[in-house]
Amino acid sequence: MDDSNERKFQKELNGGLVGLVLLAVLAESTEDLYGYEIAKRLASANDGTSIFKEGTIYPVLRALSAGNLLTSRIVPSYSGPPRRYYRITEQGRSVLAEWKQIWAGTRDFVDRFTETEQSDIGHSS
Amino acid sequence: MNRSAPRSIDQYLRQLREELSGADSALIQDALYDAEEYLRAEVAAHPDKSESDVLELIASTYGAPDEVASAYRDTEVKVKAAMATPRKEPHTAAGRFFGVFLDPRAYTSLFFMFLALATGIIYFVLAVTGLSLSVGLSVLIIGVPFFLMFMAVCRVVSLAEGRLIEAMTGARMPRRPVYQGAARGFWARTGEMLKDRRTWTTIAYFLSMLPIGIIYFVLAVAGLSISLTLIALPITVVLSQAGWFGITATEIFSTAQPEWIFNTGFAIPILGLAGLLLLTSLMHLARGIGRLHAMYAKSMLVARAASDPAETEESAAALAAH
Repeated sequence: MDDSNERKFQKELNGGLVGLVLLAVLAESTEDLYGYEIAKRLASANDGTSIFKEGTIYPVLRALSAGNLLTSRIVPSYSGPPRRYYRITEQGRSVLAEWKQIWAGTRDFVDRFTETEQSDIGHSS
Repeated sequence: MNRSAPRSIDQYLRQLREELSGADSALIQDALYDAEEYLRAEVAAHPDKSESDVLELIASTYGAPDEVASAYRDTEVKVKAAMATPRKEPHTAAGRFFGVFLDPRAYTSLFFMFLALATGIIYFVLAVTGLSLSVGLSVLIIGVPFFLMFMAVCRVVSLAEGRLIEAMTGARMPRRPVYQGAARGFWARTGEMLKDRRTWTTIAYFLSMLPIGIIYFVLAVAGLSISLTLIALPITVVLSQAGWFGITATEIFSTAQPEWIFNTGFAIPILGLAGLLLLTSLMHLARGIGRLHAMYAKSMLVARAASDPAETEESAAALAAH
């Protein structure tokens, strides 16, 4: 029960964050990346387990691509269907800069409450 | 929901397809394509493990089929809401009738009706040439590779037609081709394609596009020329009375038939109005044809859920086992 509540909260948090993280990953990468590679980069950044289910990044990649924040090209692959490689566009970079600011503001705002609570507990004990 | 966890890529894809049942068929095709790319890459990345061992961990990395399915549904809804331009619906009947001129889909659909003749001819030639050469060459050894090549071209063209239809009518069409599975022998793949219902509906669609394209083209050309001519009538009269053409309206229409129309003063404005109504109706017709054609194309070019005969048999067997 607790576990499913946690998962639900995590899922709600992830809603807008997946797009931000994907843009950031592609903005930092010097080469074009395909879905599986991006998923593995996310996972390796967090000890092998991504906080996103990797299946959820594909529809978001497609949505970002439809919004002209990413461009893509198709390359044949030996292991499966042809892979779609993504690259961030100039528009994507400017959107990423805006989103980063919003995220920083949100994080600071949330921290202000959640961290006060912790330091209060620290004082009382 | 409480099904056994998938132990193979095919099982996973089948469960994902079931979870997405009822969703747009184009969305299902894209979701299956993405999942297959990931799963095959994951299996290839762990050559030391068997496919079922890799699939065992897939629910915690890629996500269980139901989680992935809901991610696709949610994202699709959000993207649709974000991409759709909010449009005020006019409330009066006249507003709704003439509002069609503000709808970009009506113009693009009309353009599609013109284009359909050209694409229809190309598709028809492709299908007839490919089919007859495939049958003719089937007695020779190059018949099979030729048929496979013909099918590959058909799939690409069908994807392109889907993109064209989505651009023109706004209906959701697949953004990824159907993946045919890892490379196997010529004979296995040929047999599979011959059994696949979609192969035949795609060819039927290509053949049908020639007569359909002719009808669309004739409707568009005839509708536009008649309505624009009628609209031009009162404008010509006004301009000639203002001295633009150097002769009077009576002189311009002196040889026009039937005479009674051009002798009575009120007929010309009525004809102009009729032209306007005809043009508006044509725009409505174009928009309607665009929608209907998108539905037709989707039913012919996009695989239905569980269209693969082998898969249907398997799931039927699985149902019987329960």
